[in-house]
Amino acid sequence: MGNTSSSPKISSQDRAILDLKNQRDKLKQYRKRITVLTDRETQIAKECLAQNDRRRALLALRRKKYQESLLDKTDGQLAQLEQIASQVEFALVQKDVMFGLQQGTEVLKAINKEMGGIEGVERLMGETEDARAYQEEISQMLEGNLTNQDEEDVEEELLALQRQVAEPKVAEPKVATPNLPNAPNNALPAPEETEVETPEEPTRTKTKTRMPALAA
Amino acid sequence: MATPAAAPFQFPPTYNFPPFFTPQPNTNTREAQLQKWSSLIQAWCRHHRQYRLSLVEAVDSPLFHNAALRKRLDLREARSVIDWMTKSEEEGGGGRRAEWIDGSGGSQGPKAVAWVWWRRPEEWADVVADWVEGTGQKGAVLTVYELLQGEATESQEFYGMDNEAMMKTLNILVKRGKAQVFGSEGQEGVKFF
Repeated sequence: MGNTSSSPKISSQDRAILDLKNQRDKLKQYRKRITVLTDRETQIAKECLAQNDRRRALLALRRKKYQESLLDKTDGQLAQLEQIASQVEFALVQKDVMFGLQQGTEVLKAINKEMGGIEGVERLMGETEDARAYQEEISQMLEGNLTNQDEEDVEEELLALQRQVAEPKVAEPKVATPNLPNAPNNALPAPEETEVETPEEPTRTKTKTRMPALAA
Repeated sequence: MATPAAAPFQFPPTYNFPPFFTPQPNTNTREAQLQKWSSLIQAWCRHHRQYRLSLVEAVDSPLFHNAALRKRLDLREARSVIDWMTKSEEEGGGGRRAEWIDGSGGSQGPKAVAWVWWRRPEEWADVVADWVEGTGQKGAVLTVYELLQGEATESQEFYGMDNEAMMKTLNILVKRGKAQVFGSEGQEGVKFF
């Protein structure tokens, strides 16, 4: 094997399990042996009967019966051994689970510690609240300053803007009317005779009606 | 160990070819002949679940003795076949498919009994490792007896394997760091990792 350096991998529990399993193997071998023996006793009994030797046949059968009782006992012990071996194995698994839980808890604890515990979190939350309140106060104060100093300016600017928007509307007709040629408001009926075509008339009336609308 | 299998062994066609039993003078033919003998021996041992081959016994078995042809491979010739099998392919051999067992021959002298590795211990190691992996037994402690004779391995190829062959296999797993063999002799246990 020559690999003794890595033998620490084998724990005492492993050895204990191996011992248990070796016992179990031995019992299994024993059972095998007894099974062979009982088979042979039956054989012997048959042979003796064939030779009409009733006494020896009975003896062989008695031996067989006894060995069978041993077999039963062996089975019971085997079951016990197997049970304890699996219990040990399960206990080892449980140990691993415990170890895992323990480690997890420790990590959790360490993280919580880093966060400074409940008081730390509470303090932090309180501080956050304070800071926010403070910030609100500041912005409120700034808002107040604005109204006092600049509100009028702002209002003025707003008015100026409104005026700018409104003025062109008022100025437009004033500037537009002098440029416009004098509309033929009157003396229209005279040329009625020369222009007889009926289709033109509606257009004219249209312009007529449009003019007052523009002026208004 | 040589539990007779239900189906009889199927000999290859070359088995009924008389020159097969005579050493061929031509190197190439000889090579091919040795190759064929090697696979025949391996197939024979695999069929009979045999791990060791005792030449003295084998020369009288159908393996080396073709009764129908009245031809046989004598002890000397069988030995040279096994010799060829023990060498690696680089040495012009049969890929180390056999291994002489030292001092096992007793009065028959050396080179009387050989391992026939129809699966090399390395290959067996893979088979065992796969089984351990597949059955979730990593970290479990098993007895070698359990591996060879246990109810859990009954369907496995290594069930009923030669104890020493299994130990060789396990030692390869140990070298690979996949197992640890411990316990007293004859009661060895193995822990898989």
